[in-house]
Amino acid sequence: MEKPIIKLENVWKTYKLGKVDLNAIKGIDLEVFPGSFVTIMGASGSGKSTLLNIIGCLDTPTKGKVFLKNKDISMLSENQLSQLRGKTIGFIFQEFNLLPNLNALENVMLPMVFQGVPLEERKKRAKQLLISMHLGERIFHQPAELSGGERQRVAAARAFANNPELVIADEPTGNLDSTTGKKIMEVLTNFHKERGKTIIVVTHDPNIASYTEEIINIKDGEIIANHKQADKVLWNKQ
Amino acid sequence: MEQTIEQTKEYFYIALRNIRTRRLRSSLTVLGIVIGVFLIISLLSLSEGLKTTINQQLQAMGGEMVIVMPGGEEDILTSMMFGGAKLEKQDIEAIKKAKGVDKVLGYSYTGTIARYKDESKQIAMCGYDPWKEGLDILSIFQGWSLAEGRWPSKQNQILIGQYIANEIFSKKIKAGSEMVIKGKKFEVAGILNSLGSRQDDSMVYMDMKIYQDLTGEKRGTAAYAIVKLEQGADENAVKTEIEASLEKTRKRRAGTDVADFSVITSEKMGELVGTILGIIQIVIIGFASIAILVGGIGITNSMFTSVRERTKEIGIMKAIGAKNSAILSIFLIEAGIVGIFGGVGGLLLGSILAKAIDYYSQINPTFYFTTTISPWMIIFALIFSFSIGCLAGFFPARAAAKLKPVEALRRYE
Repeated sequence: MEKPIIKLENVWKTYKLGKVDLNAIKGIDLEVFPGSFVTIMGASGSGKSTLLNIIGCLDTPTKGKVFLKNKDISMLSENQLSQLRGKTIGFIFQEFNLLPNLNALENVMLPMVFQGVPLEERKKRAKQLLISMHLGERIFHQPAELSGGERQRVAAARAFANNPELVIADEPTGNLDSTTGKKIMEVLTNFHKERGKTIIVVTHDPNIASYTEEIINIKDGEIIANHKQADKVLWNKQ
Repeated sequence: MEQTIEQTKEYFYIALRNIRTRRLRSSLTVLGIVIGVFLIISLLSLSEGLKTTINQQLQAMGGEMVIVMPGGEEDILTSMMFGGAKLEKQDIEAIKKAKGVDKVLGYSYTGTIARYKDESKQIAMCGYDPWKEGLDILSIFQGWSLAEGRWPSKQNQILIGQYIANEIFSKKIKAGSEMVIKGKKFEVAGILNSLGSRQDDSMVYMDMKIYQDLTGEKRGTAAYAIVKLEQGADENAVKTEIEASLEKTRKRRAGTDVADFSVITSEKMGELVGTILGIIQIVIIGFASIAILVGGIGITNSMFTSVRERTKEIGIMKAIGAKNSAILSIFLIEAGIVGIFGGVGGLLLGSILAKAIDYYSQINPTFYFTTTISPWMIIFALIFSFSIGCLAGFFPARAAAKLKPVEALRRYE
């Protein structure tokens, strides 16, 4: 059987709010396999963002284990983790999170800088990506000069820059109108279909979820398993 | 993986962008460093100038010469500046008797007013004893030469320095003209070529007898004695001889109020000046360091704000694969650039001040001072300001690098 790209074992995340402990995630087990297109759905406050941060190795669990490509991330140094994350995972955020001081091209090139990709290669790849997102005319524009949809496409290009195996999108359409939102979802779908990459999208919007192949419902920090599967967590929409 | 040069270049670029976006704050931070470096540079250039000035004087004194002056060695500066005790006739005789001594030239000087064509100016006059022989010694060993006129041969003739002739009086003085000092008329027999230091060029030189007539000082005395050594004699050996000889005469005169004396070789003089300048420089560096420290705190403060403002950006960069070292580099480079800019600015301001002082000194004869800005100082200022920048930026940069990506991203949301 194929190995999961990301695997969570009994993961808990507890926040201390004054003297009260708040369990954002309560013992989640989860496996995401290469080549899947997964939605994590849940209302706000359900713990889905926390879960996404842990899946994306941006945050560490209070308890439990996270394996990225079979590596226990708690065993990695912060630098090794940064390196692995930069190479393996691409992020798309609701707020776009482009660096305001850099233009579109530079923003897309940045993840490759951190991976030590040579300048010429970097430029070539970034240009190609932006052109494929129909942003060829915009490559030297600053984020402030771009529309929301354009910014999010730059962000998507950035997420794809290192050709990651996994792309994590946190409410990617949350700040966009439905037409531009649709475009972003198409971009993601294409990336998934053409390159066979794994994509995890967090959303509370069922329309968005409909693009994906699997849906994980989360509520109060737990996965609601309404559809039985081998590992009891995944629920196939068909 | 090691950080490559190319990555560093990229970080440099990002840092530069960051500085540009926060232009106002960056320039204020730069200003802090500018002031610090400006202080260091101007103070150092002044003290370097002081050194040059004094060294010129020392050089003018020349080698193979020893100076004997009244007063203990520890009071040399005081007696040089304010005069005071004099060498008596017997003292000079005693010096002459010492082994290794070729010639002894008594030497006194004082400030006075001189009049030239209805214009009166403050000048310094100086008497030599013996006068004729002295002129020979000075022209052979100190390189005195005439720019104009001839060597004085009569009692009412004097020599003047280059600066007096050309600058001090509004009308240039020609050889053969008349000059009035303390109500007595003199003929300017000759004008000397520059002697290498402004002070020496601003003097009127005359026979000690005339000098003493004018000032009323006792015959046979002198403020200092310049001793010309015999060919090949050792400075320090002669020094000992002179001391022994002087000691003997002074004992014979026991009971009178006998002051101390010192025999100064050019080596000793150099040491002495070196020590004093060293102290001055330490004090200057101390003051300037405080200024730099304040500038450094300014950088630290600004960098902390910068880190705070850009927490989210740091989070983003970390999320897309920036290692701690990358973040650290970006912020360190940013601080370093601010430091360097400050250094360059301070250097410019400092140089302008130094040039201004030079200029002022040129148009103002009584204010004699040159400043020096050496390449060494420039390099020092740049390296120093860059290091201060990096040092000051280190803690904020480390704080930035240590941020957890998720926490950084959540900030301001």
